[in-house]
Amino acid sequence: MVGSPVLFIAVPLLAAFLIPLLGMIWKESIRILPGLVLLYMLVLAVTLLGQVMHTGTIVEIIAGWKPPWGINLVFSPFTGVLATLMIGMGFIIWIYSYRFKNVDFEEAKKYFILFMMLVTGSVGIVLTGDIFNQFVFIEITSISAYALTAFYKHRDSAEASFKYLMIGSLSSMFLLLAIILIYSQLGTLNMADIASKAHLMKPEFKILAVIFFIVGLGIEAEIFPLNGWAPDAYAQAPGPVGAAFAGIVVKAGVYALIRIIFTLFDVSGTHQFLIVIGLTTLIISEMAAIRQERLKRMLAYSSLGQMGLVLVAFGIGTEEGIFAALFLLINHAIGKSLLFLSGSYLVYNSADKYINETNGMGKFLPITSFLFALGALAVVGMPPFSGFWGKFFMMSAAAHANMLLVIALILSVSLIELVYYFRVVNRIYFYKKESHIEPKKPTVNAVIAMVTLGVIILVIGFYPDVISGYLHQASQALLDKGKYIQDVLSTGQLLTH
Amino acid sequence: MKMKKILVISLLAVFGVYLTEALFKLDFGRQFFQQGVKDFYLVTTPMKLQVANVVTAIVVNFRGFDTLGEVTVLFLATTAMGSILYKGRHQLGERAVLFSGSRIVTTGSRLLFPAIILLGAYVFIHGHLTPGGGFQGGVIIATGFLLMLMAYADYSVSHIVLSVVESLAGITFATIGLLGMLHGGSFLQDFLPNGSLNDLLSGGIIPIIYIAVGFKVGAELTGLIYTALNEKD
Repeated sequence: MVGSPVLFIAVPLLAAFLIPLLGMIWKESIRILPGLVLLYMLVLAVTLLGQVMHTGTIVEIIAGWKPPWGINLVFSPFTGVLATLMIGMGFIIWIYSYRFKNVDFEEAKKYFILFMMLVTGSVGIVLTGDIFNQFVFIEITSISAYALTAFYKHRDSAEASFKYLMIGSLSSMFLLLAIILIYSQLGTLNMADIASKAHLMKPEFKILAVIFFIVGLGIEAEIFPLNGWAPDAYAQAPGPVGAAFAGIVVKAGVYALIRIIFTLFDVSGTHQFLIVIGLTTLIISEMAAIRQERLKRMLAYSSLGQMGLVLVAFGIGTEEGIFAALFLLINHAIGKSLLFLSGSYLVYNSADKYINETNGMGKFLPITSFLFALGALAVVGMPPFSGFWGKFFMMSAAAHANMLLVIALILSVSLIELVYYFRVVNRIYFYKKESHIEPKKPTVNAVIAMVTLGVIILVIGFYPDVISGYLHQASQALLDKGKYIQDVLSTGQLLTH
Repeated sequence: MKMKKILVISLLAVFGVYLTEALFKLDFGRQFFQQGVKDFYLVTTPMKLQVANVVTAIVVNFRGFDTLGEVTVLFLATTAMGSILYKGRHQLGERAVLFSGSRIVTTGSRLLFPAIILLGAYVFIHGHLTPGGGFQGGVIIATGFLLMLMAYADYSVSHIVLSVVESLAGITFATIGLLGMLHGGSFLQDFLPNGSLNDLLSGGIIPIIYIAVGFKVGAELTGLIYTALNEKD
């Protein structure tokens, strides 16, 4: 037994408080300790995930009070898959940014503390079984994200961060109002307890609470029209942070939204709403992406579009649809992070990060360019890469649910995606290099991180079965609301030993 | 442009009316508020935990995990502000307070400072007995430092000391949680004897956590004020 789910939160918090002290004694420790913590979390997550697949959901109670009086963490196949994905991405991005701010100790210390808490907060959002506790974790994630967005002072990052801060505060306010509404009606904050009593709520308050949740969490999950802050934040944040936003933070937002819609309340029409809002987000973001002249903004808009696609897949609502949504989610986390990580090196020395400044980089940065192209192929959904399976499963789920219009729209949007990614790849390989741009060679740890992501894309592309077993169980766990409620509320004894 | 503004204002007005009406219907404290977890808290706290202040018991014991999260939020906010306002030592500008207060102000501040610190310490040490607790006590302590920083142009606090206090307090909180796991079986579980109601030494781990929180909040807010006062622009 390597540990229990609460260590996903307790260990990184302890480490975050320790880092300032250890940094006074040994400077290198501020870089090493977050990596060790993330590695431990990864081992723990993989072990627990394997265990959960056989023995069923682990519900861990905190402070010795069983639900609904205390707070509990739920490590089900569904939450476990997402938590493992986030921690894995966090670890890979840590490898990539190991030498970040190599000369400036104070800034590096702050970066590593904030980055570790960004991952921890997102994992907490996914694992917690208590609605107010989730709010606390959303706060932890958001505050780290605001600070990391504003990290570079020579860019327009302060503006992006301020915009994010304003909209993020609005999101918190809506979430808090929704939680107050629920507590005033049901007198409980435990998610399973709310789910089992939701029918007792007066319909008007129930709908109001759902609207508040959709607005508040929609800002975190970056759905249109609540995602105005996202392109700025993605583009102005340091490269690894942009990758973490796409690979970790937005996944937590989507999880929270899905949990509210699938488990907490069953208000009719929310699934159709997900499909409509997802398609709108998808189409508008992809149209915006094709017009972008700067690389990171293009990637950011593409990321928004992909999350719209994930929401559509969740909205289909069948087990097949959720399976496809999870597949797309994983593909997006890996592919888009690889694009952000390699793209940062392609435009490393250019001030404005224009797409045409990547011209001819294929000759000077062969590995980085190759990995960028690989990431682009995966995100677009070319066979035999991982993205192909995601889109394929999604199409077949939509076809089985008789949603042919959805299929047509998604295929045409995929064409737009193809155009703007191939435009960049074309420039990288077949154009002449701009004379004023000096290519920046990636560091060894950055290459290791990017190659790892590339290998994962290929492995999932050729053997989708390595993850599909987990994802099938995960989608069943999300749909089986009764079992979730029973698992949580029947937890009487401790499950830590 | 003007049409847009009118549209926005009227939409906000509709939303505001709807929200007000819904929230007025909530009827806090009356018929809807009969069910839920509150009765369990009200009965268990004085009987079993031997804690007089139910709010403290909920914040630190029943929902201690949230409090650990909130403490982290504050820690991150300080770190974030430090990283945004951080400048190398050579870049540090003049203080926002350029001149000392008059002799009356400085003498008065020196007289008040120990009293404020004492009050803050009292509030967080008695968090489980009287209203207040770690957060409130910590804020009171920080106001003491704010007074000194405003009164004296050359008053300074050591960033290293603040950082050490902050870290040690945070480590104490997390370690108590892990000790609970070793002794009782779940994170943040109460593993100390509860004592008897209204004693200073009662309530299990609550006073220890609140003292740690008091130190942490005091150090963090003092650090925030100090960073903001020394900002260049």
